[in-house]
Amino acid sequence: MEKYFLFALIAIIALWYLSYSATRLDRLHHRVETSWANLDGLLQRRAAVALEIAKSDLADPASSLLLTAAAHQARDAQMQTRSQAESGLSGALGLLLNDGHLVDGFIEKDLLRELSELTDKVRVAIALHVDAVTRTQMVREKPVFKIFRLAGTAPLPVTYEFEADVL
Amino acid sequence: MTLKKLRIGLVCPYGWDTPGGVQNHVRDLAEYLIAKGHYVSVLAPVIDEDAIPDYVTSAGKPISIPYNGAVARVLFGPIAFSRVRHWIANGKFDLLHLHEPAIPSISLLACWAAEGPLVGTFHAAAKRQKAIFAIGPILEPVIEKLTARIAVSEAARSTLTEHLETDAVVVPNGIYADRYRDGEVRAQWSGNTLGFIGRYEEPRKGLSVLLEALPIIARFAPDVRVLVAGPGDSKDVEDEIDPQLRHRFEFLGRISEKEKADFLSSVALYIAPNTGGESFGIILAEALAGGAAVVASDIPAFESLLGNGEYGALFQSENPQELAKVVIDLLRSDEKRRALAQRGKAYAQRFDWDVVAEDIFSIYEMALVGSNGVTLSSENRAWNRFLGRAGN
Repeated sequence: MEKYFLFALIAIIALWYLSYSATRLDRLHHRVETSWANLDGLLQRRAAVALEIAKSDLADPASSLLLTAAAHQARDAQMQTRSQAESGLSGALGLLLNDGHLVDGFIEKDLLRELSELTDKVRVAIALHVDAVTRTQMVREKPVFKIFRLAGTAPLPVTYEFEADVL
Repeated sequence: MTLKKLRIGLVCPYGWDTPGGVQNHVRDLAEYLIAKGHYVSVLAPVIDEDAIPDYVTSAGKPISIPYNGAVARVLFGPIAFSRVRHWIANGKFDLLHLHEPAIPSISLLACWAAEGPLVGTFHAAAKRQKAIFAIGPILEPVIEKLTARIAVSEAARSTLTEHLETDAVVVPNGIYADRYRDGEVRAQWSGNTLGFIGRYEEPRKGLSVLLEALPIIARFAPDVRVLVAGPGDSKDVEDEIDPQLRHRFEFLGRISEKEKADFLSSVALYIAPNTGGESFGIILAEALAGGAAVVASDIPAFESLLGNGEYGALFQSENPQELAKVVIDLLRSDEKRRALAQRGKAYAQRFDWDVVAEDIFSIYEMALVGSNGVTLSSENRAWNRFLGRAGN
């Protein structure tokens, strides 16, 4: 009798643990989704600012063209080409800002300030996203999660190459 | 900052009415956010419930436990847990900001009980601790719930990576830099003076290291004096001082903010001989903002705050000979000392609350993306998803 009781107890604890683990993983997936949404939003804003810079007096015709192309690419890119497009935009912006020409004009200064603030935010957002992704990957590697397929049909989250570039 | 007013819940793990760096940080942050028009509620253990500001909610009386080389006044247990749950359920917060959630305290309990946008700030910088390995597996799933992590220094960040294998964004502690900007030089505190501020009775503040270094310093700078400010009973410490050196010491007791600003502008050198247990070193940031030339021990927190010696001179921790050498070197050259102080003052502006709170707030905004506010955590959210019910 006692043996069955013990067996039942172990079964209950095991079930609870599985449920708890599934919740834990679900939360992590949620974290990955929201941190990506946040990063995505910021990147969109960056592309918008880049377009404005391209239109302003900051950019000479050549870099204006380059920037416009890069910004549009970043905006329209599909998931597979997104990483490359964002790297391209970072590069184009970097070229323009590294030229180091002096800026006067109120609007231009404002644009550059907005860009540098956005860049800082993107950096933080990337750190948050990368952390969420690596954490999720780590947890999904654990035997309990693998054996009982607690991840269900959720795809394994990945980090993108451009994220490493900016960090 | 955006115009949207938030409801923010801050959790302070240590006793509200006991002195400490984390408490000061939480208080300043809360007051800054309130001044910006946000609704802020702080949950903290409190000893005397009659003497707390409106925005603080008591979680009960703290218990004293030894932690990280000092006595920490924290609180946990089932009664505290139910109070934490109550506070979360009634607060209708948009976001919770938990301080030091990796030690057993109400911050950890709040992290356990809540769900939604959670931001955690890690203050402690400690060497690898065995105890953490034992509770690591329990801690991990809880700490994992944090949407964003902040570390107050590179030292705190590496502690976090080592212990919990997770990364954090570094946002330093804040100071009100403008309070220290315009200190007046007072004649009685200037000259060849060495300043020290802190609870000098605590061994880890390192006053004894300065005591040992003093005879050597006095040989080269005969008129050197040591000014010690801060709460404590000076009698015991005075008895320990070599009678020949006693006349060089002056104990000022607790000083006001204004006096502190003047103090930092007046002393020739500010000395921080701490031997460890320091997570950030807010006093160094204040000293720099006050225009003092700083000499500090090379413990990890100070090293990273002073930019590896760029903004203040470092000496090997617990080595009085080296401390004496660095002090003498700087006392002899006004030029060197002034240059160091100037560099430090300019650098300290980045610790101003206007900068720091902006950084913290932008992390809040990121944590808030796609959320519906903080709720009590439910352990069956995976089931909801599995059964196709709407979750968050």
